Amino acid sequence: MTESSAIQAKGLTKHYGNLEALVDLDLDVSSGEVFGFLGPNGAGKTTAIRTLMDEIRPTAGSASILGLDCHKESVEIRRHLGYLPSDLALYPNLTGKDTLTYFANLRGGVEWSYVEELSERLGADLTKKVGDLSSGNRQKVGLIQAFMNRPQVLIMDEPSNGLDPLVQREFQAMMRESVAQGAAVFLSSHTLSEVQRVADRVGIIRKGHLIAVETVSSLRSKAMRRVELELGSAADATVLESVPGVRDVSVDDRRATLSYDGKMAVLLRTVAEQYDVVDIATQEADLEEIFLTYYRSKEGSG
Amino acid sequence: MLTTVFSKTLLDRWRGMAITVVALASLLLFAMAVYRDIDLSLYTDLPEGFQSLIGIPPDADVAGLAYNAIYNSYGALALGGIAIAMGSAFIAGEERKGTIGMLLGNPVSRSAVLVGKTAAMVLLVTLGGLFLWGSGVLAPQILDVSVEGMHIGAFTLHVAVSALFYGFLALAIGSWTGRTGPAAGVSAGVMVVSFLAVGLLPLVEGWEDLAKAFPWYYLSGSDPLMNGVGWGHIAVLVGLTAGLFVVALVGVNKRDLRSRSVGVSLLDRLRANPATAKVGGWLAGSARVSSIWVKTASEHQGLLFVVSMLMFWFMGVMIGPMYSALDQDLITLGESLPDSMLALFGGGDLSTPEGFYQLESFGMVAPIAIMVVTITMGAKGLSGEEDNRTMGLLLANPVSRSRVVGQKVVAMVLYGLVVGFATFAGVAVGSWLGSLGMAVGNIAAASVLLTLIGLLFGGLALLLSAATGQTRLAIFIPVGAALVFHVINAMAELGDAGWGQLSPFHYYLGSDPLNNGMAWGDAAVLAVLSLTVIALAVPAFQRRDLRQ
Repeated sequence: MTESSAIQAKGLTKHYGNLEALVDLDLDVSSGEVFGFLGPNGAGKTTAIRTLMDEIRPTAGSASILGLDCHKESVEIRRHLGYLPSDLALYPNLTGKDTLTYFANLRGGVEWSYVEELSERLGADLTKKVGDLSSGNRQKVGLIQAFMNRPQVLIMDEPSNGLDPLVQREFQAMMRESVAQGAAVFLSSHTLSEVQRVADRVGIIRKGHLIAVETVSSLRSKAMRRVELELGSAADATVLESVPGVRDVSVDDRRATLSYDGKMAVLLRTVAEQYDVVDIATQEADLEEIFLTYYRSKEGSG
Repeated sequence: MLTTVFSKTLLDRWRGMAITVVALASLLLFAMAVYRDIDLSLYTDLPEGFQSLIGIPPDADVAGLAYNAIYNSYGALALGGIAIAMGSAFIAGEERKGTIGMLLGNPVSRSAVLVGKTAAMVLLVTLGGLFLWGSGVLAPQILDVSVEGMHIGAFTLHVAVSALFYGFLALAIGSWTGRTGPAAGVSAGVMVVSFLAVGLLPLVEGWEDLAKAFPWYYLSGSDPLMNGVGWGHIAVLVGLTAGLFVVALVGVNKRDLRSRSVGVSLLDRLRANPATAKVGGWLAGSARVSSIWVKTASEHQGLLFVVSMLMFWFMGVMIGPMYSALDQDLITLGESLPDSMLALFGGGDLSTPEGFYQLESFGMVAPIAIMVVTITMGAKGLSGEEDNRTMGLLLANPVSRSRVVGQKVVAMVLYGLVVGFATFAGVAVGSWLGSLGMAVGNIAAASVLLTLIGLLFGGLALLLSAATGQTRLAIFIPVGAALVFHVINAMAELGDAGWGQLSPFHYYLGSDPLNNGMAWGDAAVLAVLSLTVIALAVPAFQRRDLRQ
């Protein structure tokens, strides 16, 4: 292992009968980075994570965390790991404090003052029974559990589920602090904006295949946006289509909507040369459009 | 909507009923075949009191004995158990799962949900009863056994109506409390206590009429097999059942529904009170989460308490004085009984206190009681955490899968020992109170063998739980195996057949430990079998993909 490699997967594959849940996944996540694992529901994110966690065994391929084999040395790995499963379930009869005490005991103890600090930051109520908590408050207990042993590797499956925006921000700060101290964070999500806010690099997975691994900045530059223009005079679709990266143009008198994959400055310059721009609105393309972009580029190059 | 609640309930529930009635029908066939081939005079020459004690009607013959042995005890208890499982899950179960809100988010009234579910229960129990009737008619024809003068239909009608009573009792309690635990527990308790009471009370002079206070009396009291439908008794059961349904309807409409939430236990109250907060907190919290086995044990402490108390008080302490109070004439008559006669009910020579304890306590109730604990813990230990989706998180800690299995085993073994000890202590105290003079060492030997047989079937449940992750499978297969092995052993002893050794139960009471003391060889067989199934659970669990 290289000094900085935290999670490595080579040809990781998982089949359920004929269903290819995960196909030939290669990953290399370094210490000191947040790696976002992005894909729609059912893409294979959770299968990949459960394989890394040794909950399920790969059909082919192998993976290692901190240089230790995910299957053979999984107990040793888990000493240095924090994990938050998707769709978190806890023991409903235990209070948050009991739950954390239980897991702390299984770890041979953790620094309790740190647990209290985390609890305060997230505004968690540890005195109530977990079964009586809302899903967001339950998620806080799960987050504290994942962070409380100051892990070198954090694996979290859809961690922001149910958290309100303020808590999400605090959680993101916690991730950045861990990374600053040299930890690696592997986080799955189905929302691009969340991943973009915290991740250094992003792996995009769809139907079990890892389509691309990009830095967030290049993803952002590539990211498809939906653009709505209101112009001073009737728009001409051919002019708009002449800009490289513009697709799916539709024109309705002085209104035009289009998909754009490129630098905004280039588009604006071209449009401003021809028209008086009255108003402009852009929004992030949804995941499916980004996948299409990647598929197109893959097909184009291959 | 009514039909969909109805049909969904049917679809959810038909398997358990189907498996049960098919098993009962097979056992009936088996029992009838064995009875056909042995000399029945040992039964028919018995005084009436004895016959009522072991639940056989006067002048019973091959078929009558088989119907009573299989349908009247196992069958009625199993059907009642299924009805209780349904009744307690209908309203309270949906509340526990947190699905009642969504269900009632549809344009359907609470009454309609209750009626739809209840109708499914009635239909399933009716179909189960009809199947038992059909197989009860078919079995003697296959085996060429005479059933002249017997009313099999009337008999199964009594069994089914009685089962419905307990199901509706669970429904009513669940509808009023929203809790499945009390609904199932109280109803099962009422069923078992009344089953025992109706068997035992008539033996004590002057107490015969007390049996009428227990619902089981209206199942068998009129001897429907020989006398046809006892309409008066059926009317009592139907009336009570209808009353319980009204109670359930009122309860479910009147009450605030519980959201998915957890109950408040005594420990929680201790914890909430500042004066006792420290002790309560320790007991409810820090103590029970100190390790996996302690936490596992704490989850089943209620079950352990109930079962241990049942074994200690009802099956132990109370039997001693009751034996002393029994009609002495009845007891002396027992000296002429052949050893094998009572095998089906656990065996035992009634002329001795040892034999009486064996029949009433060790024979059937004690193995059932300990297996309720060990099979529950074995089955839920691993797949239960998968059902609750907590296994992934548990295994995210630096603990190996084999250690998790080991810790679950520790909890199960400990609880098996507690039930075994409670039985031992209860019987020892009962013997002392009744001045029966039973050897304490022998009581201990029988209790150790009891613990071992409990751990064997609990271990089997653990193995299935580890290998499949399916809790239902891990419960049903050991329960079914125990039932089949128990009957095989009993039948083999009746016919003096050697194949009884194939049944683990042979190694439990086969050596008559209450009279002869510890059979170390038998204990070793049970211990080795238990260790084997438990040891197999480790690789089975290590190899498998966890369920999500």
